[in-house]
Amino acid sequence: MSTRAGQASYRDRTQEFLKVVENCKKSSSTLDGPSSSTAPYLEGPKSAASIQSEFSRRASQIGLGIHQTSQKLSKLAKCSEMLVTGKVSCSLAKRTSVFDDPTIEIQELTSVIKKDITALNSAVVDLQLLCSLQNESGNLSRDTTNHSTTVVDNLKNRLMSTTKEFKEVLTMRTENLKVHESRRQLFSSSASKEAANPFLRQRPLVSKGSNESSAPPAPWENGSTSSSPLFPRRKSNGDPSSTQPLIPQQQQQQQEMVPLQDSYMQSRAEALQSVESTIHELSNIFTQLATMVSQQGELAIRIDENMDDTLANVEGAQGQLLKYLNSISSNRWLMIKIFFVLMFFLMIFLFFVA
Amino acid sequence: MRVTALVILNSAASSSSSPEAADPVVLANATDVSRFGYFQRFAAREFILFVARTVANRTPAGQRQSVQHEEYKVHSYNRHDLCALAFMDDHYPVRSAFALLNQILDEYQKAFGESWRGVKVDATQPWPYLTEALTKFQDPAEVDKLFKIQRDLDETKIILHKTIENLLDRGVKLDDLVEKSSDLSAASQMFYKQAKKTNQCCTML
Repeated sequence: MSTRAGQASYRDRTQEFLKVVENCKKSSSTLDGPSSSTAPYLEGPKSAASIQSEFSRRASQIGLGIHQTSQKLSKLAKCSEMLVTGKVSCSLAKRTSVFDDPTIEIQELTSVIKKDITALNSAVVDLQLLCSLQNESGNLSRDTTNHSTTVVDNLKNRLMSTTKEFKEVLTMRTENLKVHESRRQLFSSSASKEAANPFLRQRPLVSKGSNESSAPPAPWENGSTSSSPLFPRRKSNGDPSSTQPLIPQQQQQQQEMVPLQDSYMQSRAEALQSVESTIHELSNIFTQLATMVSQQGELAIRIDENMDDTLANVEGAQGQLLKYLNSISSNRWLMIKIFFVLMFFLMIFLFFVA
Repeated sequence: MRVTALVILNSAASSSSSPEAADPVVLANATDVSRFGYFQRFAAREFILFVARTVANRTPAGQRQSVQHEEYKVHSYNRHDLCALAFMDDHYPVRSAFALLNQILDEYQKAFGESWRGVKVDATQPWPYLTEALTKFQDPAEVDKLFKIQRDLDETKIILHKTIENLLDRGVKLDDLVEKSSDLSAASQMFYKQAKKTNQCCTML
């Protein structure tokens, strides 16, 4: 263990190093490295330890904040999903109405996350400033500057992805709200169409679609209730000063004009389509009619044949009977012969008995 | 399904300017107020004109519109500032109403060309075409060919359904007849055989 001054590799200066590190930890961001440094590569880690301590502390803080924010964000997403599926709220405490509490909590979460994200943003900006300051002032090694810039970039990326996720969750939540509202409106539309009119007013095309789908498409199928379902409340022209008000509801005229034209054209198109389908049905019926008639024609032919057979049989039988009748009626001398034979046999019988 | 009134108005310069200026001018008018009592007819006519003016005022150019008022529907069609209105009840199909309005406008333009644009005062003489249109088109089938075709087709379909039912009955009856005729032919054959038998066996006697 030679102890020459220049060759630091053989000097054991660990204790000094530890003391200096402690000093640096106690002091705040002092940028100057230890003065009594000989070994250049010992200098590296010592100055890195002092300078990087501040930097890494901040970086670790920021990383922790980002992680916490993303955790809150996932919780928010889960809450808003559960809200849509109508399950119980995600609050640990009371479970009152399904609609109100998760909304409040979601809103609280949203505001908290927003604050966190803004704070993290500013922290990352500060860190970046610090890093650039360090890089300019201190004569650190290139690796350190690389490391610090990489760390800052990494933190910035993570923060950006968290912000993006937050935005996605917000859009999803607005969509869910819309779905909710439309569902609510569907279920309460029969009771209060009047109340839902301001909602309808903003989306005349959507409401027109639902109105038309509920109404029968061919308005003249049953002519009595035809026209009213197609145009239930699509009237304009509030005349506020007249004593006889023209229409019960107020509608924005321009918004309803275009759907009215469309529905007029649509009704014409529907009329044509229904005519076409009726003609199709008629053709079907006609073909069925033809098939049935041809089948029954076959039956008629069979009947005809049977009748012909019957006729022939009956005629033959009649001929036979006529022949029989003829033979019976014209065979008298044969009958006389038969009688004589009978008399002969009678005589023989009489002779034998008497 | 009845048409109560048909009105044609000139609604120029009514939409853009102030609401009081240039109320639409009635060009032709045909009303059927026979449903009301005698003393109410005049009031009903005035009311119809008033409503017609208001609706024509509010109909933008080139647009169709339907307004519901108590138990009447008012359909209006504004074509190049010439506005035609029809007052009808709820059962009249809307499409036929607009077809009727189209037809009236065409007729009017054919009859009067463009001279109506200068008219500033309500026209007082009735236009005979309009009055007879009012009576003729009480039935929407007259004015709307599609409606008529659809109605005829529906009737034909009903008739065809009945025909098919009759045909099915005919089929059942034919089945019956087939059976009976085959029984008959069998019986006649037996009869023939019997007759032949009786004829055959007595030749000796």
